[in-house]
Amino acid sequence: MFGRSRSWVVGQGKSKNIHSLDHLKYMYHVLTKNTTVTDHNRNLLVETIRSITEILIWGDQNDSSVFDFFLEKNMFAFFLNILRQRSGRYVCVQLLQTLNILFENISHETSLYYLLSNNHVNSIIVHKFDFSDEEIMAYYISFLKTLSLKLNNHTVHFFYNEHTNDFALYTEAIKFFNHPESMVRIAVRTITLNVYKVDNQHMLHYIRDKTAVPYFSNLVWFIGSHVIELDKCVQTDEEHKNRGKLSDLVAEHLDHLHYLNDILIINCEFLNDVLTDHLLNRLFLPLYVYSLVGQEQSEDRKINPQVSLYLLSQVFLIIHYQPLVSALADVILNGDLSMFSVQAEHNAHKSSVSITFAGRSFNKSCTGKTQKRPNYKNVGEEEEEERGGPEEGSEEEKGKGTEVSSKSSRTSGDTEEIEMVVMEKCRISEVPSMTEQNTTDEEKSAAASLADGQPFLDMVYNALDCTTDDYHALFVLCLLYAMSHCKGINQELLQKIQLPVPDQERSSYSQVLVERLIRVMNQAAQPDGKVRLATLELSCLLLKQSVLSSSQCIIKDVHLACLEVSVCGEDIFLDMFEDEYRSMTSKPLNVEYLMMDASILLPPTGTPLTGIDFVKRLPCGDVEKTRRAIRVFFMLRSLSLQLQAEPETQLPLTRPEDLIKTDDVLDLNNSDLIACMVVSKDGTQAQRFLAVDIYQMSLVEPESKRLGWGVVKFAGLLQDMQVSGVEDDSRALNIIIHKPTSNPHAKPLPILQANFVFADHIRCIIAKQRLAKGRIQARKMKMQRIAALLDLPVQPSSEVLGFSQTSSSLSPAAASLPFRFYEQSRRGHADSSAQRSVFDKVPGFAVAHSVSQHGSSPLSSPSPPSSGSGSTGQCDSITTSTPSADEAASVERSVEGPPPTWALAPSLTPASQPSISLLSDPNTDALSVDSLTLLPPADPPSLRTFSTQSSLQDDASLHQPEPDDTDTAPPPESPEGTEHEAEPREDSTCPAEDHTDGLEPAHSTEGVQDDDLSPDSENQHLEATPDEDRGVSDVEESSVD
Amino acid sequence: MAYAYLFKYIIIGDTGVGKSCLLLQFTDKRFQPVHDLTIGVEFGARMITIDGKQIKLQIWDTAGQESFRSITRSYYRGAAGALLVYDITRRDTFNHLTTWLEDARQHSNSNMVIMLIGNKSDLESRREVKKEEGEAFAREHGLIFMETSAKTASNVEEAFINTAKEIYEKIQEGVFDINNEANGIKIGPQHAATNSTLPGSQGGPQTGGGCC
Repeated sequence: MFGRSRSWVVGQGKSKNIHSLDHLKYMYHVLTKNTTVTDHNRNLLVETIRSITEILIWGDQNDSSVFDFFLEKNMFAFFLNILRQRSGRYVCVQLLQTLNILFENISHETSLYYLLSNNHVNSIIVHKFDFSDEEIMAYYISFLKTLSLKLNNHTVHFFYNEHTNDFALYTEAIKFFNHPESMVRIAVRTITLNVYKVDNQHMLHYIRDKTAVPYFSNLVWFIGSHVIELDKCVQTDEEHKNRGKLSDLVAEHLDHLHYLNDILIINCEFLNDVLTDHLLNRLFLPLYVYSLVGQEQSEDRKINPQVSLYLLSQVFLIIHYQPLVSALADVILNGDLSMFSVQAEHNAHKSSVSITFAGRSFNKSCTGKTQKRPNYKNVGEEEEEERGGPEEGSEEEKGKGTEVSSKSSRTSGDTEEIEMVVMEKCRISEVPSMTEQNTTDEEKSAAASLADGQPFLDMVYNALDCTTDDYHALFVLCLLYAMSHCKGINQELLQKIQLPVPDQERSSYSQVLVERLIRVMNQAAQPDGKVRLATLELSCLLLKQSVLSSSQCIIKDVHLACLEVSVCGEDIFLDMFEDEYRSMTSKPLNVEYLMMDASILLPPTGTPLTGIDFVKRLPCGDVEKTRRAIRVFFMLRSLSLQLQAEPETQLPLTRPEDLIKTDDVLDLNNSDLIACMVVSKDGTQAQRFLAVDIYQMSLVEPESKRLGWGVVKFAGLLQDMQVSGVEDDSRALNIIIHKPTSNPHAKPLPILQANFVFADHIRCIIAKQRLAKGRIQARKMKMQRIAALLDLPVQPSSEVLGFSQTSSSLSPAAASLPFRFYEQSRRGHADSSAQRSVFDKVPGFAVAHSVSQHGSSPLSSPSPPSSGSGSTGQCDSITTSTPSADEAASVERSVEGPPPTWALAPSLTPASQPSISLLSDPNTDALSVDSLTLLPPADPPSLRTFSTQSSLQDDASLHQPEPDDTDTAPPPESPEGTEHEAEPREDSTCPAEDHTDGLEPAHSTEGVQDDDLSPDSENQHLEATPDEDRGVSDVEESSVD
Repeated sequence: MAYAYLFKYIIIGDTGVGKSCLLLQFTDKRFQPVHDLTIGVEFGARMITIDGKQIKLQIWDTAGQESFRSITRSYYRGAAGALLVYDITRRDTFNHLTTWLEDARQHSNSNMVIMLIGNKSDLESRREVKKEEGEAFAREHGLIFMETSAKTASNVEEAFINTAKEIYEKIQEGVFDINNEANGIKIGPQHAATNSTLPGSQGGPQTGGGCC
């Protein structure tokens, strides 16, 4: 179709070159012949318009006479003429796209001026297109956007007419600011930003005087209604079903905040004034901040306090505009509820208080607008109706509260009056904050001191309590973090309450805050603490920020002492230990990203099925509990070291610099070397010597210059190695070494996967043994180092046992968990010395004990037939590398069977008849051993039990640990232990108790202050109630009317 | 007008890599590339057919708006597909891919299909980035990869359509929540091929891009 029309055009053209003035003249001729759009010439016209564009752009780059001709013949007028004929979307869209292309590709200023000069563009802007057509809408808004990108101090005059006070580009665009189509909304925002960016005073005054109030108040109102929807979404959520919607709403809120921030950082002062006023008094204070304390009076609450904390954190993280954030922070930190209540009461009697504030230029206009408010429900659809009032938002919200009680104090249902009151409420809150910009600090503090307390601050601090959960605490920490990092907030303001400001010299810190942070850490250190890792990490951040003053640490000894107690041993498992360290150091917490995640808005959950990141939820199952414990340990250790200004010398356990690397040259004299042929997966072969070092195995080839030395061709960690036999070749071993991954969920990536072919069967066996032994020893060494790290006594006595499954596992699913089996060629237990347990004290997770009975071993379905099980005592264990946490899930725990005397946590409790799988099967070459590094039970009595049970107890078990008082401590008194866990955790008890003991004294010294505050704030809430009620009911009454 | 789905795309990448030319080349082939004339556009729409279904592609270029964080953020979020473009004759545009990708992953919904495009493949003599490098980058980050030329129109069609196919597959697999328009996918007014005869005759012109 087009092809035909083009050939027609070209064919009839006088010039073969379509890029020429002549061709444009011909096009002009076509236009003059076809002034009326019909079905017949539609295609011709479209093609003509398209060609004209092309020639114009060519002319812009090559021949200026083209533009002269275009102007001279006033060809733009033809476009308009075509447009006005309602010629249908086909033509419309082509025209708009033509204009887009034209304006976008023109490079010369003068060409641009030509095109803009006779106001045709403005006529097109105001043309009433059929905006219900989504395609026309998209092209139209793109056209406006393209134009807005061309705006500068010169071109703005073509769009903004000072005399007629007309700025079609802007006013037409903002009509679509709440268009249902997201791309259109984005384009509108782009256009407004491009407009604000132009530094033209007249134009900006016009924007402020004529459009800012309605536009901004609409904007703010929509954000408000959005927030209410978000809150509703949180409140009505069941089982995290609303997460998808919630994350959209959160993202939308973030978009709004970023947009507001983008406007604010353009730094157009008088626009910012208007915007700040609207945001503070119609959104942030009345909705966000006020909701912090409103929860006692349900009818007064607007949004959930946790939602408002979350949103406020976002505000401080994103917006840094000084007047806005300072005022907001001031209310939160110094604000006083009486400001709300007293004034509200005041208003109840004098309805015209707002006059007091009417001096503010925009205030008047706001009031004026609200008198003729439209039906807000329709604002979305009827974009042309620009007047809206955020008051309506709060009103509507209040209407939700069903409190109608103290209505009587107000007789008038007059709308105007009501709105003043609502505004009043907002305005009041502004008094301490807004005046602060102009007044001195004395006045400010005087105003603050009038207040009985700081209800918002109190609420914030009180929410740090995580005994039941850390739902609120996480948000509070985020808020504090955000405020302390918000560049716009007055430093003195933060210092007054000793909120930590990073990188700043200081000599004191907020005792209240630090103690609360330590309490969070203590709770986190408890095995069943309801503190998520993100919360802990944030507490650590804030604590460091509080007490580390540029160079030295100013923490008081008493606090440090509290902290140290909380750094206590936890359930550790080697692979997870290293794995967690890697993933923690590779991904430090980013508070901004954290605050972008909607999932934390919902009550904390434990199940990974929600897909919520591990650090943002509670652990699920023993493996995750262990992971959590490990992380807690790392965080607290690093915090503790940093506070004491000590360098980290122990972690990570494997440091790359300590390892043998490829191409290292080693002295291999007196080393055991086994020659082998390495056949890799792709078939390449190489003759190498296998050497086993303390942590690594390496493949070397002889150094040509020095006898007895070798060049390392490959080196891999023994702990990450898997050895298995090759079915049809008794001389060969299959060896896979996985790369340690930092992502616990990633599939382990093999860095070596090859068959090693040895000279004969004997050498193959030797190699296999050596590797297996090296592997155990390497892991043992590391375990010892972990033990040292944890200050645990190294217990060389008990044997490490592979221990795959217990007779009765807590989770039935566990039975089907995939294990990875490791083959080993170990015969019997000749090298039992290599299997000594490293620990006896690290409780919980990995329990190793020498048990010779395992009648239930058949249960351990994943493990190989443990034929050798009968000949017990040959507990040949190998500690497997479990590169992924998932795999580590195979760690079983025994639940049942603890003698009633010792109540042990499930993970600690040795099963009465643990099944041990690891047994070498002399008959099969492939002998799989699944294993964990197992630790002896924490409870010595239970050990003894086992000792007595086991008939063939290794003599190692004779060196039983001294009964450890930690482990024999009475069951915990902590309510949480008994509440949540059927069997109280033995190991947790002691640390927990120590924590509290340690902390108590500190509290008694500092806690007084706290306690004083709380009752006050309570009183205030109570006082506030009636007044607020009245306010609400008034509003409600009016909205009913 | 009748389409089964509407997919919104964005085009990202350094300035000057030819994003807007790719867009125009795809949406309006009548602008034939001429060696001394570069024409681009920031928005375009076109109808394509996948699996017998009419699918409308809307492509939004974000050029010139990078200075506003709110804008780039929102664009990413509203798109179902993204074309990440670099210029094979300028190594720096390739080096910046990581940053672009990080941004995209951070702000977009996790299902967004990203296609890596090495543009200007016609300028073989000035090539600075090997095709293998692009392939490796794509493999590493799980992207689809293609070298294109807006000048010769080579692979342009394929780039946009393959991306659409990938999105379409994800819809079939139920990965995308198609009822949530925030994902950049919209279900057509009548989700039916029954009307295809009428739109068929007018389909070409109606795309505004003249895709026929």
